[in-house]
Amino acid sequence: MTGNREEITMRLHRLVPALCAAVLLAFAGRAWAAPQAPESTPPPGYAGSDVCMACHGEVAGHLAGTPHGSKAFERLAAHGCESCHGPAAAHTENPDDPVLRPDITKRSAQDQAKLCQSCHSGRQQMFWQGGVHASRGLACQSCHSIHSFKSDRAQLRTASEIDVCLSCHKDVRAEMWKSSHHPVREGKIACADCHNPHGSTTAKMIKAASVNDLCYSCHADKRGPFLWEHAPVRESCLNCHVPHGSNHIKLQKTSVPYLCQQCHANTRHPGTLYDGATLADQSRASNRIFNRACTDCHAAVHGSNHPSSPYLGH
Amino acid sequence: MSTHRKLALLLLIALPATAQEPAQEPRSFTFTVDPIVLGIFESSVDTGSSKWEEYRDRSSGFVIPRLGIEGRGDGDRFLTFRATNVRRDDARYTFGYGVLDRWALTVDSNKIPHRFGNDGRMLFTQTSPGVYQIADPVQLALQTALEKQFAANRALITFPFLNGLISPYLATAGFVDLGLERDRLNANLGFGSLRGFSWGLDYKHEDRDGNRPYGASFGFSNATEVPEVIDYSIDDAELAGSWSTDRAGVRFGYRMSTFRNNVSTMYWDNPWRLTGATDPSAYTAPGSGSIGGSGVGFADLWADNESTVVFADGRTRLGSSWYAQGSVSYNTMTQDDPLLPYTLNPSIQGIDFDHSTFDATDVNKLPARNADNEVNVTNLSAQVGGDLGPAFDLTFRYRLYDYDNASKRIEFPGYVRYHAVWEEIARITVPFSYTKTDLGAELGWDVTPSSRLALSYNLQSWDREFREIDSSDEDVVKVSFDTHPGTRFSLRSSYESGDRSIGDYSPEAAENSFVEPEGVTNLPGLRKYDEAAREYDQFNVSAQLFATDALSFFFGVTGRDEDYKESRFGLVSDDVKQYNAELAYAPRDTFNVYLFGHRFDRESFQRSRQSGATPSTNPQDDWDLTLGETTDTFGLGLTAKARAWTADLQANYSKTDGNADFFSPPGGTPDLAVGFGDYEDVELLALLARVDYQLNPRAKAGVGYRWEDYTIDSFLLRGLRNYLPGALLLNPDYGDYTGSVLTLDLSLSFD
Repeated sequence: MTGNREEITMRLHRLVPALCAAVLLAFAGRAWAAPQAPESTPPPGYAGSDVCMACHGEVAGHLAGTPHGSKAFERLAAHGCESCHGPAAAHTENPDDPVLRPDITKRSAQDQAKLCQSCHSGRQQMFWQGGVHASRGLACQSCHSIHSFKSDRAQLRTASEIDVCLSCHKDVRAEMWKSSHHPVREGKIACADCHNPHGSTTAKMIKAASVNDLCYSCHADKRGPFLWEHAPVRESCLNCHVPHGSNHIKLQKTSVPYLCQQCHANTRHPGTLYDGATLADQSRASNRIFNRACTDCHAAVHGSNHPSSPYLGH
Repeated sequence: MSTHRKLALLLLIALPATAQEPAQEPRSFTFTVDPIVLGIFESSVDTGSSKWEEYRDRSSGFVIPRLGIEGRGDGDRFLTFRATNVRRDDARYTFGYGVLDRWALTVDSNKIPHRFGNDGRMLFTQTSPGVYQIADPVQLALQTALEKQFAANRALITFPFLNGLISPYLATAGFVDLGLERDRLNANLGFGSLRGFSWGLDYKHEDRDGNRPYGASFGFSNATEVPEVIDYSIDDAELAGSWSTDRAGVRFGYRMSTFRNNVSTMYWDNPWRLTGATDPSAYTAPGSGSIGGSGVGFADLWADNESTVVFADGRTRLGSSWYAQGSVSYNTMTQDDPLLPYTLNPSIQGIDFDHSTFDATDVNKLPARNADNEVNVTNLSAQVGGDLGPAFDLTFRYRLYDYDNASKRIEFPGYVRYHAVWEEIARITVPFSYTKTDLGAELGWDVTPSSRLALSYNLQSWDREFREIDSSDEDVVKVSFDTHPGTRFSLRSSYESGDRSIGDYSPEAAENSFVEPEGVTNLPGLRKYDEAAREYDQFNVSAQLFATDALSFFFGVTGRDEDYKESRFGLVSDDVKQYNAELAYAPRDTFNVYLFGHRFDRESFQRSRQSGATPSTNPQDDWDLTLGETTDTFGLGLTAKARAWTADLQANYSKTDGNADFFSPPGGTPDLAVGFGDYEDVELLALLARVDYQLNPRAKAGVGYRWEDYTIDSFLLRGLRNYLPGALLLNPDYGDYTGSVLTLDLSLSFD
């Protein structure tokens, strides 16, 4: 009987979100404002989008189904194509004159960004100005393409986000082929899960107040705070780990036990030499140079909550 | 609250807002399926290595590798559904629905496997979550055999002896695969326009289940592993509002995160003992041949914790080209798990501060029943910048990150070492705190419309509590020059130099966790590299040349040399150089090819001194280590289209050669040091070939073949050979493999 009740309760739990979703969709079906009609007569200097489309029909095809081909865009951008490209009446009168072509890419990177930021200046794009990419001369069009994008989302110039990033960050591309790596090349996480390419107020454009705060967003188990802390762990995960790839387990920058010995040269075993002879000779063998080395015993190296673990054992 | 209830709550919150939208007549919706890919995987691999499927599901069978549905309705309604690897261990589903620039709901479900090793061997049986047991007769038989040998000749309790004891039992022991699966749900509900006010609710939930190797030793000389049970629930929610105009914008919100470990304590039997006993040294067999200790071990696994953050970001324009922006946040992280007793070994008596004895298994004898930890983080950043005339610009930056560990200090009269012995050494918890500030300025000069020279200075200061160095300052000067004359060539370059100076280095700080400091045990000349004085130089040069519209070259070199000149011991230097080259040729839309090569060179140098009970003062006891690793990575990609045929070829090859070179002067201890060449030598070759045939505009048939060959030669694995099976490590397989996947698929798209 109890089992039946639990099963019914579980089914109800499953049903609730489905019902909510159904109701939400029903409401959402009537949930938009009527789109404003496009301007009928273009102001002086403007040709009007219809004139643009007469020659650039393929662009309309590309834009269809994207936010820049939507009614919402019409609401935000009163002059259609010319909202971004600028007045094009002169170009329509003399289309062969390259000087008159309203080509956005002829503008400076800063001006291009200013154009996009007339709409995209909030949320994730809030800190574009003054960000690393902006100050190194990148434009929005360096990564995005409004007319001929290849990605499923964000209208990127390449099929995937990682391809855009790695087209410049080639060192990172090689790092990702190392044995220990985050699942970026497997497509399970993306560069933008950790970095905000549009700028942030922290170094390396990370999406958190610090490296550790960023790491905790996936590794919340390490967040603590713990009874017994390991000070360098709290200051920066990057003291011991490299995020993009390593050939040492757990993305360690140097393999254990030598990573630990870069700080711990204490009496007895921490400062002891573990070398090739230790590996080769069973009579000299040591359990500090096999498997996971120091962490075979100091299993709680990120912090421990046990009263008997001041040395971060179990 | 269950995941489903939380999702329901999220959706219910959405309803009133959507209901506020003006009512419209029913509208039409058109759907496009683009694409649905139906396929078959035929997979084979020659070993049981977990690396083959580390983050992937490559099992043979029917697959839907990709499914995309796009819906468009009047009034800018949209619906998207994308799925990859449907119903497999690495599946991902993303659903979106909304009205452009009005509101949108996105729900993303992402399954991420992470496999650590296959076919580990263990004597244990997990009788309930987190409880690993060995049959009592087995424990008793092993204990009896040890005691017998201990009485006869303790010196013969060696690894070969242990191996002989354990082998018959391991021969019939079970296997365990080590790995976990993250089930992530990410839902976002947003309302509002790009211009003006908008708000959004983000909700993330992750269930993480599985296991990973856990060091579960009962003494100094041996090592034991059990699979650490992973059963986590993580919930994050963020409510944020945003207001944005051309001139200014703000974003503010509240974020909370909870981590719940559903198995917070793990228990495991001692393979070598059934009954608890004390052991004065905790140097279990082999080695000294001591055979005492506890019959059962336990561990306090990751503690439940919470984090709450309030935050605000803002930006505004200050006149023509000047702007100001900043962010501020306050984060409170808390953890208040109940504390476990000192030990479960009933034979151990605790000794209190007044030298009275108590039952060390009694949790009521602890000075505190809960951890009661709290950290408050204040984060502040500000940036002001703008143009100084037509050719110059100036930027000022300030950042502050204050990590204030407000946890109370708890004094413990002693602790139990390895579940075997009470150590009458009073310890006290140490709430490490620090404040990091950055103050910097950058002056930019547009030398030409296409060239920019920038000079920047940054001062990074640290103030720490309870560490060896109270304060340090690091001056960083950086020069960068970027140019792209014309459209054929671009050059990016930068040089950076840093100099970190420190105040007094206090080795005694390491004793802060002792109620009565016993004297420094670390070498006085050691400087921990994360806080030590250092100088570094870093450079980056990359150039790209488009020789023709079709042919481009890229070359880049980066380097960073770190010197810890005041560090007599510890990390002394760390140098990295990387070289990149790439050639890309795309003469037409139907053909492109690229080839890249990359070299990573790293060399670090560290020094130490071997000591006995007190820090050695004899330079002949020194030893030093030069770690070198070189990784060469090559890649080739080719895409060619001819009529209805498309061919793709990708090849990636990565090889790392690492070496550990030791030196120790003669005469001391040690007086000889031997290097080794398997400092994590790793090689991976991955080939992917694929051919597609366009049957008609809406159907495509394809065949793909992926082949991978992976080898690892690691000193850490080699070191195991001296110990197994007596060390009772899990020893799972994450080593070499050669594997392949043949894929046949049909891609369809339709309205």
